Amino acid sequence: MDNSFRKIDIDIYDEDALRDDELYETDPRDPAEVLQDAKQRQGAVRGFLAKNDIPGALTVILENAPYGANVEEAKIITLQSLLTILNTTKATEITGVVKLLSQDTQDTLMKYIYKGMAMPGWGDISGSVLLGWHEKLTEVAGVGCIVRTMTDRRIV
Amino acid sequence: MNLQHSVMSNVLRPYLAAVRSTLTAALTLENFSSQVVERHNKPEVEAGTSKEVLLNPLTISRNENERVFIEPSINSIRLSIKIKQADEIERILCNKFTRFMMQRAESFIVLRRKPVPGYDISFLITNTHTETMLKHKIVDFIIQFMEEVDKEISEMKLSLNARARIVAESYLTAIQG
Repeated sequence: MDNSFRKIDIDIYDEDALRDDELYETDPRDPAEVLQDAKQRQGAVRGFLAKNDIPGALTVILENAPYGANVEEAKIITLQSLLTILNTTKATEITGVVKLLSQDTQDTLMKYIYKGMAMPGWGDISGSVLLGWHEKLTEVAGVGCIVRTMTDRRIV
Repeated sequence: MNLQHSVMSNVLRPYLAAVRSTLTAALTLENFSSQVVERHNKPEVEAGTSKEVLLNPLTISRNENERVFIEPSINSIRLSIKIKQADEIERILCNKFTRFMMQRAESFIVLRRKPVPGYDISFLITNTHTETMLKHKIVDFIIQFMEEVDKEISEMKLSLNARARIVAESYLTAIQG
């Protein structure tokens, strides 16, 4: 007897069923606009790095970071620029830099650190650099910062 | 030996610290009944039936071969470890070792009988565990496990090699004589 019908998820046809996009407020910006914005920031970050202004570079890249569906390319560009910043910062300066960031920026930074750690070996991701940043950021922002990364549905 | 040990743990320390803080953050569990089946209360991370109670899974990695995957939810978390396996011998030893543990999963209480795909060993911690045991002790247990497992496997590898050498030597002397 065919019993594959038992595997059919009938709950998704329920009109009360929860959809992924109902869990968070979607970005009102158009994906193309977000991508354009991400590219502009990439340039801005280079400017800040040339001036050796790490907190400035981090603030630029992390404020209004792309989130949600359909903006994969913008997310990747943002991750790349962020990794450049993280890799060029000296280990002794990290704590000072992290203290200068606002709470929202710290949370977004934490999200990107976890995103980077979730794809080891990709691009110029270095596990030890990310772990170093993670440790300093947790010291400054506390465990709450990690909790917000887990609970915020606006995935970067 | 002591010096070597402290050097190793210094390299490992940021990794374990990250696992410790993430696990502490994830271990905020409460009793929560199933929203789908009445009178049922199951670990939501395993059931996966209501996505609003599942939180974003987090990965902590040193490199491709050493990582920890934490899947938090409202009443349970699942923590999976990928243990470092540098060569074929370590792979075999790791497989045997984790298998041995997982066959005795109920004595470890939080151990899962089967690892999550892509990982070597998984733990399932539910709200019952955090209510009956001390949270920081559970975290300590996981961290200690991670420290020990690497040490255990490299020790087993050393003694295996030493034994193989003795066996080969005595076998070949027999042929020679």
